[in-house]
Amino acid sequence: MLGAPNIRMATKRTPEMEEYLELLVRYKEAEKQPKVTMLGKDLKLSAASVSEMLQKLKKKGFVDYEKYGEIKLTKKGEKIGNEILRKHRFIERFLMRIGVKKNKAHKEACALEHVLSDDVEDALRKAMHSAGAPDIEGKHIKRLVDLKKGQKGRIMLVSGGREVCRRLTDMGLTPGTKIMLSRASTKLGAIEVCIRSSCLAIGRGLAEKILVKVD
Amino acid sequence: MKLRIALAGNANVGKSSLFNYLTDLHQHVGNWPGKTVEKIEGVLDFKGVKMNIVDLPGIYSLSTFSLEELISRDYISKEKPDVVINVVDASVLERNLFFSLQLLELGAPVVIALNMVDAAREKGMGVNAKKLSALLGVPVIPIVATTGDGVGKLMRAVINTSKKKQKPSSISYQKQMEADVSQVKKEIKGLKMDYPSRWIAIKLLEDDGNVLELVKEQRPKAIEKIQKIRKGMEKRCGQKGSVAVSSERYSAAERIALECITLRDVKVPLRQKLDALLLHKYVGYVFLLAVAGIVFFSIFSVGDILSGYLMESLEGAKALARTSAGEGVLQEILVGGVLEGVLAGIAIALPYLIPFYILLAILEDSGYLARMAFLMDAIMHKIGLHGKAFIPIILAYGCNVPGCVGCKILETQRARLLTAFIVTLVPCAAVSVVIMGLVATYVGLEWALFLYALNLAVILILGRIGCKALPGEPVGLIMEMPSYKVPMPKNIFMQAWRELHSFVFMAFPIIIGATFLIKIIEVMGWLSPISDALSPITVGWLGLPAIVGITLIFGILRKELALIMLAALLGTGVFSEVLTPVQMITFAIVTMFYVPCAATIAVLNKEHGWKVAVGISAFEIVFAIVLAGIVSRILSTYFFLA
Repeated sequence: MLGAPNIRMATKRTPEMEEYLELLVRYKEAEKQPKVTMLGKDLKLSAASVSEMLQKLKKKGFVDYEKYGEIKLTKKGEKIGNEILRKHRFIERFLMRIGVKKNKAHKEACALEHVLSDDVEDALRKAMHSAGAPDIEGKHIKRLVDLKKGQKGRIMLVSGGREVCRRLTDMGLTPGTKIMLSRASTKLGAIEVCIRSSCLAIGRGLAEKILVKVD
Repeated sequence: MKLRIALAGNANVGKSSLFNYLTDLHQHVGNWPGKTVEKIEGVLDFKGVKMNIVDLPGIYSLSTFSLEELISRDYISKEKPDVVINVVDASVLERNLFFSLQLLELGAPVVIALNMVDAAREKGMGVNAKKLSALLGVPVIPIVATTGDGVGKLMRAVINTSKKKQKPSSISYQKQMEADVSQVKKEIKGLKMDYPSRWIAIKLLEDDGNVLELVKEQRPKAIEKIQKIRKGMEKRCGQKGSVAVSSERYSAAERIALECITLRDVKVPLRQKLDALLLHKYVGYVFLLAVAGIVFFSIFSVGDILSGYLMESLEGAKALARTSAGEGVLQEILVGGVLEGVLAGIAIALPYLIPFYILLAILEDSGYLARMAFLMDAIMHKIGLHGKAFIPIILAYGCNVPGCVGCKILETQRARLLTAFIVTLVPCAAVSVVIMGLVATYVGLEWALFLYALNLAVILILGRIGCKALPGEPVGLIMEMPSYKVPMPKNIFMQAWRELHSFVFMAFPIIIGATFLIKIIEVMGWLSPISDALSPITVGWLGLPAIVGITLIFGILRKELALIMLAALLGTGVFSEVLTPVQMITFAIVTMFYVPCAATIAVLNKEHGWKVAVGISAFEIVFAIVLAGIVSRILSTYFFLA
């Protein structure tokens, strides 16, 4: 049996360290270059305590970091960060699925991610699937912006604030609607989709807020 | 009695074509009371029945996302036009019906004009108008607005509907949603509202802030219960209220559309081939640059010819007026001030504006304008705007005035304001005259290029700051990509005429007023006291000769006047004899930024109100002086060392 607390024993890491690694993985996903000031801002800590923690993480072999230099996750560090992030997202979804509000679910997930063991996570995941909930992490769910040219699917989720949702749904991007990407984005550019027998141009920022289940 | 008719529908459905067909030259442009959105009205006499027609803005929904949506919603529900003609594009039926369903919910007496049936047929689609009419419970008349096919029949249906005065029944949704609607209806029973109760109930389920406030005013107690019903619905659907209701409405639209679309034999339309080229990630940009270049070039070549011709013929008129008015201070002010002002307006602004309005209308009507916005989206994001903002900005390099007018293609007030601000920073042709005539000629071309680069940097930095400083979120691009169309000359000229008409009425009084004021200052001999008063800034901070104060005042009228006056007052056109290189560069920087010209201020005032016009002008005066002073100090050391 390999539960999270057991792994932690083996590598002697604290929940704070896990928070750091999780955040570094999030930066990596967003293609942001991590900086001490960024970490300090997101964790609400001073630059001094951030660099102190980074030194500790370096000692453990989780990050490569020289003072004032680049902060880089090691393979080991990234693996742990990924695990924690996966657990965080799963817990958040699970809780929201059973009616917990988003904010509350996020806070709970921040605490629970450090104690949830892999096998209990698996069991909960199976229970959620048999209840018919979609697995957002699965291969077939993509952000609209990540679709390839000509790929078709159905809109799963439109996230974002009230105004954004309003505008997107007013233009016909409602959940369950068939959609096809007719023109893919260049690095930062807009995309074009076919939906409801017409064509829409959508800016990259908005297209990132739409999740699509690929056919 | 006149029938009051409103035209409503999505953008790009041929609403303007129908409006132009119906009203011809009997049109009137104004603003919606207290708003900066244009109100276009016209009159029609159809077989003895007089009608007053209002062309509502092209919108996709009746929520309150944009000013246009709010205006349309208020007009339909409060002014209660006798008939609302809902123009619908037959080839994009589903999206269009989403809007039609909202009109029906609003209880408007709707007649549907099923437009572009010819284009739909070409696409391999037919729409069964009879069936659509039966499903919606309102008359549906197929028309082709550009040729006028079916318009007579449409107007007969309009007159019939106006006589009946019966409210249409709205489409019912799925059972559970209907149950929620009637529950909310119970809560708001007996309230006095401009809107039908079913519509209010639906908007409350959508969590529409505006409607929520209205109900709160009259019955604060009901709010809690209503929120509870909404939350119940949200939980059931697993979506936010607005998304749940829109989904429901769209699925109703889809259902109706599927029942009415008769044949479907989809062909690969021309647009796909064109788009493959025009939206290509490299070729597309080459084409875009070419189009921008052509537009630019033709505005200026046509503008130059027109301007020169007009100047010449107006000079004659001026001389004639002068001799007939005689000598004297009052004559000097009246003739000089008023004539110079009219001259500035007619001979400077109009020649560039007329080709601009025509070309803009062609680009818009053909569908290429939307493609330009698509291509430029990524770049415009850098300054917190989206693709559509590219169009006014590129036009501003010719003249800031059309640039400012062009800001109205953006959706939100915030984006319009930010774009207008950036537009006023762009060096127009007149500023280029100063840069080229002074800096490039006497200091060196590399310094002229340096000034353009400096300008670009300022635009990027101030754009970013403006984006952060303005309240509200930047909105992303979302727009329908219209089909390509051959532009209709009639539509283009009508649109250009309307724009020109409103410019003349708005800007001319201000241009004339400004000229008048400067003339008074000149005649009264206040010019040198003013330049003395300005000398701490011009001489002390900027290190320029004191007379520059006078030239800068004239530059407000037309920026190239600053240079012309400078030559006149210095007594030589060879600026290197009287000015150092640093002084010339400093002078050019001040001219580039210091204040939008009178015509631009006039348009800012028209589009955004006087507060914005004054605010932008004041900011730019301070900014230009501070920047030019700093650059002058840095350059002094540089030239001293060199």
